[in-house]
Amino acid sequence: MSDKHIPILYIDDEEHNLQSFKATFRKQYNITTTTSVIEAEELLEKKDFIIILADQRMPVMTGVQFFEKIRDKYPKIIRILITGHADISAAIDAINKGEVFRFIDKPWDYTYVENAITHAYEIYRTREDLRERNIELQKANEELDKFVYSASHDLRAPLMSILGIVNLALLEDDVVSQNEYLDLIRKSVKKLDTFIINIIDYYKNARGVSVISEIDFEELVTEVRATIQYLPEYGNLTITTNINQSMPFFSDAMKLRIIFNNLINNAVKFQDISKPNPFINLNIDVSPLETRIIVEDNGTGIREIDQDKIFRMFYRAGATNSGSGIGLYIVHEAIVKLGGTIKISSVYGEGSIFEISIPSTSK
Amino acid sequence: MIIIDIILIDDSAFDLFIYEKLLIKSGIANTVKTFNSAQEALKYIVNQGVMLPETVILLDLQMPDMNGFEFIDEFADISVAIKNKIKIFMLSSTIDTRDIEKAKASPDIIDMLPKPLEIDLLKKKLAHT
Repeated sequence: MSDKHIPILYIDDEEHNLQSFKATFRKQYNITTTTSVIEAEELLEKKDFIIILADQRMPVMTGVQFFEKIRDKYPKIIRILITGHADISAAIDAINKGEVFRFIDKPWDYTYVENAITHAYEIYRTREDLRERNIELQKANEELDKFVYSASHDLRAPLMSILGIVNLALLEDDVVSQNEYLDLIRKSVKKLDTFIINIIDYYKNARGVSVISEIDFEELVTEVRATIQYLPEYGNLTITTNINQSMPFFSDAMKLRIIFNNLINNAVKFQDISKPNPFINLNIDVSPLETRIIVEDNGTGIREIDQDKIFRMFYRAGATNSGSGIGLYIVHEAIVKLGGTIKISSVYGEGSIFEISIPSTSK
Repeated sequence: MIIIDIILIDDSAFDLFIYEKLLIKSGIANTVKTFNSAQEALKYIVNQGVMLPETVILLDLQMPDMNGFEFIDEFADISVAIKNKIKIFMLSSTIDTRDIEKAKASPDIIDMLPKPLEIDLLKKKLAHT
């Protein structure tokens, strides 16, 4: 918000004070005035103000009394008191008690008032920034908590499975079963490795600096496809890609890779093997402002009750074959970081469609 | 030697496979039934009703849909006649003290056993109950 739009409420029982204030600052700020404290309270209900100026000497209640009254309900608004010389001790008292940010001496002069408003606005912004940072910090802490909790599970569970198999294998003399156990160990190691790679991706995405480069979607998709085609669960899946890119597109290649990797891997993992022709259709449409990506499959689909939860950290939908619940969370985080959106439509048993829009980042 | 009927509840197909084998191989189990969903297991138990033999349940903690503690919450409400036939052990790789304390505090959980399952430990715990 520029200075010009700072919404200010000015209360003074003397109409001509309001008029002259308005006349002086009307072009500079967004000013609302009233001669009544009752009306002032109604105005506060209706509109968000950043600064309130109030005259100290008013009938019904003084400026300080008015501030005391509204302080708890509107703690964010910066309060400035306007006083004549006779009321200076009341003003000092109010400042010391924290009721007002500062006071303006009557008759006020232009620079002094402008200065007070500028400072008040700075204080307001600083407090708001601090509040936002605090919210971010709180989110980061909660995530860390969740992370430590789930990591202890997702890192230890596959290890304990391996230990379980080893214990079992030690009871076994038959060589054929031994090989079966080794195969299980391999799968468990793979699962653990996938989780570790995901965690690293998450941190790269959350904490890393984004690197903007020209994106060749054909190349990116080919790369991602190469990593999945030897997966044991690949089966007889058909992947068709339709990439429509006639102009350069700039974005963060690493984040896009994370997005494609997770979505395509999920589509491979959750294919419906009972269907005769499992497929993934990948559509990419590049326009000057944005790239639209559609990943469609005829896999198992996602139950309606899970659809709004699948992007949460460590949320796992369904009991069979599910991973650690971090993949789609990372996808969502990456898309948010890129300023894009993701939409899902899915019918359980029929398949899923993920629609993504990524804005072009100017280089 | 104690021989028991066992129900395994774990979302990991993997762990179900390992522990089913281990329980049978060790000779401790008469029968082993496996469920990859706590919900399904609960349905089975309620349907069996008093027909259910004396059973030991080995219950995983972290599962999607219904986790181990949520299973215990539901289990608490079923009839005493069925509950009396069941002994529940939690079997988890968790090292979170909050989980461990919560399991210890629950009247419906006999104990928390760490993964991987040690048959000797299970035997010892069963001998004490």
